[in-house]
Formats: sequence, C-alpha cells, structure tokens
Amino acid sequence: MKRLLGVVVALALALAPIAPVGAEQDTLAKIKETGVLTIGTRTGSPPFAYVNKNNEWVGFSIDLVEMLVKPEVAKAVGKAIKIEKKESTPPTRIPLLTNNSVDLIAETMTDTAQRRESVDFSLTFFYTGAQFLVKKGSPVKGVNDIAGKRIASQQGSTNAKIIREKYPQAQLREFPDQPAAFQALAQGQVDAYTNDGIQLAGLKAKAPNPGDWEVVGDFYSEEPYGMAMRKGDAKFKAAVDAGLKHGFESGKYFEIYEKWFGPKGDVPYPMTPQVKTYLLKQIGK
Amino acid sequence: MNYQFKWSVLWSGQSGSWLLQGVITTLEISALAWVLAAALGIVSGALRTVPFRPLRAVGTFYVEFFRNVPLLVWMFFWYFGVPPLLPRAAQDWIFNHGAEFWAGMFALGVYHGARMSEVIRAGILAIPRTQFEAAVAMGLTTFQAYRLVIVPIALRLIVPPATNESLNLLKNSSVALTISVAELTFQTRQIETYTAKAVEALTAGTLIYLILCVGIAAVMARVERRFAIPGLIARGG
Repeated sequence: MKRLLGVVVALALALAPIAPVGAEQDTLAKIKETGVLTIGTRTGSPPFAYVNKNNEWVGFSIDLVEMLVKPEVAKAVGKAIKIEKKESTPPTRIPLLTNNSVDLIAETMTDTAQRRESVDFSLTFFYTGAQFLVKKGSPVKGVNDIAGKRIASQQGSTNAKIIREKYPQAQLREFPDQPAAFQALAQGQVDAYTNDGIQLAGLKAKAPNPGDWEVVGDFYSEEPYGMAMRKGDAKFKAAVDAGLKHGFESGKYFEIYEKWFGPKGDVPYPMTPQVKTYLLKQIGK
Repeated sequence: MNYQFKWSVLWSGQSGSWLLQGVITTLEISALAWVLAAALGIVSGALRTVPFRPLRAVGTFYVEFFRNVPLLVWMFFWYFGVPPLLPRAAQDWIFNHGAEFWAGMFALGVYHGARMSEVIRAGILAIPRTQFEAAVAMGLTTFQAYRLVIVPIALRLIVPPATNESLNLLKNSSVALTISVAELTFQTRQIETYTAKAVEALTAGTLIYLILCVGIAAVMARVERRFAIPGLIARGG
C-alpha cells in the first residue's frame, strides 16, 4: 500500500506545475494580520514537547517559544500575539513549513547542513550528541569499545550513519523505533544502544529500574537542536534569534533549562561546561 | 508545496549497491522461507485430508494457530521470544551469527506454510476420491498413495494459487525490517534518510518489487505448462 502510494504521489507531483522556489516570505506580516504565531511541535517527545498527564501540551521547546520568542515577535509586529500549536513529526515538519501551515518548528530538530538547504535555523537552543545506553558494568564505555560488539540504533538516524561509515567493525542492528531497540538491549540481542544522549537519558529515566542502566561515552556526533523557519525570511529569523539571545543574556534560558533538565526536572540532564560555552559563544560571550 | 525531483540519488553514492544488497537479502530470505513454507504446507495440507483423525487434528492446529496471528507478531516471537529459552552461550552465538535473518526466515516460512497448507488441501480435495481408492486397490499404502499419486497431482492443480501465495511471501518479507533485516524496503528507507528524497526511493522500491513479482509469475507459468499431465487437467489454449 505504501509503495503504491509512492507511485501515485510521484505521478501527481510530476504532473503538478512547479511553483517558483525560494519566493520571499514575510512571516511577520502574516502574524501581524492574524495575531497568531503557529508552531509545529511534538506530542510525544518528553521533555521537549509532549502532552502531560493533565492533558496539557508542554515542554522545554514550547516554554522557550512562549517565554523568549513570543515577546520578541510581539514587539516586532507591534501587538499582542497568541501561540497556536500543531503537531509536526520528522517526515512532516519541513513540508508543514513550506506550505505555510506552521511558521516555526520548535521540537527536537537537529540543525544539519543538509536541512539548511531547505530551511533556516535559529540559534542552537539545545546541544546533545550520540552516546551509548548499556547495562551497568558493561565493557562498552564509549565509541572506542564497540569493535565486534552488537550495537542497536534507530533506522535512519545520523548515529547509524556514522557507525556504519566510521566504525565498520561494530555489528550494527537497526530497529524502526525506540521500544524495539530497548527490548533488544534488555534481552541481550545487542550489547549497547546508541542514540542522542538526551534520548537515552529519557529512556533510562522511564525504564522500570533506572539504576540498571548507564549512559556512557563522549559525544561522537554533534546534535545541535535549532528552531526551523522558512528559508530566506531574515526579519522573522532576526526576531526569533533576538528572543533566544535575550534568554541567554538574562539567564532566563538557564532557568527554563533547570525546570526541565535539572535535578527535579522530568529528565535530569545537567548541562556540561562545554555545552554552556558552546551556547554562549553563539551570542559572542 | 513544491517538490524537486532528483532521480540521480538512486545511482549516485552508495544507493546502487544498497539497492542491490537489499534485493539479494530479499531473495535469500524469501527463497529459504519459501522452501520451508512449501515443505510445511505440503505435509500439513496432506495431513488435513488423511483418513485418520488425530493426524487431521495436528494439521488443523498448525494451520489455525499460525495463520491467525499477524506476521509482525511472529517476527517478534522468533526474534525476542525464542532466544531466551536457550542457554546464554547459545544465545550469544546466534546473536553474533545473523539471528535477525534466521528469525525473520522462520517467521515468514512458518506463517506462509500455514497459508500454503490451505492451498494444497484445496488441491487435494479437488482430486476425485476414486483416485485414492484406485491407488489403494492397487496395493499402495495410504502413505504411498499420497506420495506417488495424490500429492503430485495436487501440486500441478495448485500452481496458480501457489504463485499468488509465493508473491505474497516475497512482498511480506519486508516486515523483517522491524527486526533489523536489511532487505529491499529497509534499503529504500535508508536512501531516503541519506538523501531526503522519499518519492524517488519509494518509486525505486516499487519498480523492483514489480519486476521481481512479474518475473516469478512468468517462471511459475512456465512450470505449470512444463509439468502438466496431458489429458488430466482441462486447459484453455
């Protein structure tokens, strides 16, 4: 069915007239007219964006928009605005932006050179990298210990790509989703599971016995998360970046970080000095 | 929405070799699973028609149990459910030696064996009872009558539905990607991940499955003509 759909979509697209690419967009004018900033975000990516037990759509990325970006955009359009949230997922987020369904993607999207061909990114608001989740006491302590080991990854992730290309001695196993990969780790089909460190920390926090698991290794890939916007809209990007910049300068950003990732947060993930330096370097500090 | 086609993603970089590897894995897992399915199908299909109730019950149990559970569940069963029953050392050995492929092969073979069984049973039931009686009257045992008369005729009768079942098996092998078997669909997804060109990758997958299936159907049509017993089955043309 999926394959048939591919052909149908291919034909439909081939026949559709090609619209001009890269036409100048003015998101601020649109927001001024409607009074609404529409963001695309996740419903199941705690603690970045998810629906909590009280049925509220919350998270770290959403807080950043509400508390840092929104005031700055309101200032730029000269009136009070509302935030509206729509669900976006990895395959839908770029199309949602390009067809104007949403104005800003605020979730867990890694800023990559390849994606920069299609969208613009804000300043980096979260920095993580690939690590390993292992059973406590495992001989795997980092990327240098994986030769000959069975390593689970998520199909289509950047981590899988790096392992395949740079560490071919490892036996890579790719699973379509997180639960299957974790099951394989728990049962011993694999020796370690690799993903973005923050994802692994989240998985560990949710596991029945968090103490049985360890997140190990230095980052062997860089995963800077940014907010994505339509390409070529400099004024809107300036407003979003100004909001984040103000957050870094005033310390408000770090308060929000503490709320979600601090010792009492949903997923304790203390910010390392290197990450702090990286974030502040963006604003010239 | 404007989508820019870039068909060259299918042959530039590693895409070509990935697709080839995917096709090979798909054919390997499907061929082995097909042999298993055919063997299980013939035995259980025959068992369901023999004049001895306990054997019929065994055949019926196999068919109903295995065809009524989704294939995806069987994949997880053979990959996640079976290994913990083995000693730890044996588990490590199979995990290092392609456990994913073999689990996928068993899931596919045993599931399609149950479906193939029904096709074979239908073929056997289509043979007039008098054939069996004549064979027994000539002094053959029940086992000999099945082996020498009933099953060979039934297998000729069922070529068209068995072709259908074989094509299903080939296409269902894509479910094995859930347990990390890098078959054709897995590789088309991989190309999509590397290039962000979903439509091109899916189209390539579609065309390859189409070519494989049309090829298999053509081979089976030849088999049908080649092994036909003159005068036994009325056929057009």
